[in-house]
Amino acid sequence: MTRPSGFIRNNPVAAVLIGLCPAAAVTGRVIDALWMSLGLVFVLVLTRVSEAILRGLNKAPSGQRPSRPEPLRHTQSSQSLTAGWLGRLFLASCFTASFEVILQAFAPDESASLGIYVSLIAINCIVLDRVSEQRALGAPKATGTEILRALQDSIAVGAGFAVSLMVISLVREVLGAGTITLFPVGSFGGTVVVGNVSLEPARALIYTGGGFLCLGYLAGVARLLGHVRRREREQSRPEAGPV
Amino acid sequence: MSLLGIILTFSLVDNVVLSRLLGVCPCVGGPGGMRVTVSTSAATALLMSLSALAGWALQTFILAPLDLEFLRTPAFVLSVACIAGLLEVAARRMVPQLLRVAGVPLVGIAFNCATLGVVLIAVKGGFNALQSLVVGLAAGAGFFIALSLLTAIRERLEVEKVPSWLRGLPLHLISAGLLAYAFMAFDRAFLSRLFGGW
Repeated sequence: MTRPSGFIRNNPVAAVLIGLCPAAAVTGRVIDALWMSLGLVFVLVLTRVSEAILRGLNKAPSGQRPSRPEPLRHTQSSQSLTAGWLGRLFLASCFTASFEVILQAFAPDESASLGIYVSLIAINCIVLDRVSEQRALGAPKATGTEILRALQDSIAVGAGFAVSLMVISLVREVLGAGTITLFPVGSFGGTVVVGNVSLEPARALIYTGGGFLCLGYLAGVARLLGHVRRREREQSRPEAGPV
Repeated sequence: MSLLGIILTFSLVDNVVLSRLLGVCPCVGGPGGMRVTVSTSAATALLMSLSALAGWALQTFILAPLDLEFLRTPAFVLSVACIAGLLEVAARRMVPQLLRVAGVPLVGIAFNCATLGVVLIAVKGGFNALQSLVVGLAAGAGFFIALSLLTAIRERLEVEKVPSWLRGLPLHLISAGLLAYAFMAFDRAFLSRLFGGW
């Protein structure tokens, strides 16, 4: 089984640069980013697994090799409207609606804070890309392996998304407000105050522009690290350190 | 809110891209060029206004009376997708040469976050039918403003000398961030005073 590459090498936000809207919009507080990532993983895993199971119920053409997970990319522009595609959209949006209901029940404040971005998970570029038609065409009848692979791949991509969101939201909240907002547990009120920064934070980072800025620098740094690693591999000398 | 207020709010103050952060991918990652920008924004504005109207109808006549508001997301996603599909078929039938010149993938636009986001914002704002239509058009205009500014910045940046690790998308994102700061100048209270309240 191929190792899923969605976590580092094909990290959806930092390396491939898709799913940018939530990454820029809901990273003002760490807790928002946490719930958003949780929602994305929930929708992605359930949609892909149920889609694989439903496809297995159909009579699929035999004699095809199982397709390995392809790297992420921008698929939106080439998509055309078909019944299968509408069905996939329907699945994704239903799971999104269930996540909205769950969020409203367990974290009503968070639900109000995330607002429409929770509903937008249904048409998040990452979800759309992973369940798109072109990918499914080459896939054979869903077997246990296929479902397992779908599960593994969605968890890897979702974790990659979560890590990028965490990094961006940590930078934005620590520098922009001097706090780290987490769950309230017991006597811990849920907010960590970072000593000196909270007195005079760089508030600009909390505004929408800050999301774009952090995202841009994260993508740049990801690329820089990629460059450095590639150069090290090419030179294959231990003393070739980072530039 | 008056119609002028809606237009100013949704095109400048609450700009879809720069203030709500919706539809970021086509703005920073899509193909450049002014012709593509104009045709994409026109198609987006059309789709947004029709979808906002459809969202208003769905909400008023089906979801709210039957108490089915938890089904909002699937209903809106499917309606936007179907409207985009219908528009594409209609455009192919009636003005095939336009489609060839502009080359806008309508179905692709349907799945950018901006369209669904505008529908959700319009429905949550509790606007009536005409207002929803105007919200869609104004948001489309806002999308055009942001997209054309970003395209112009991109074209300018291509000939500049920049660090290689920032070239391309990272730099587009950073310039979008700076533009978002600039758009903070469109303050609601300031515009409201300028136009004598709405």
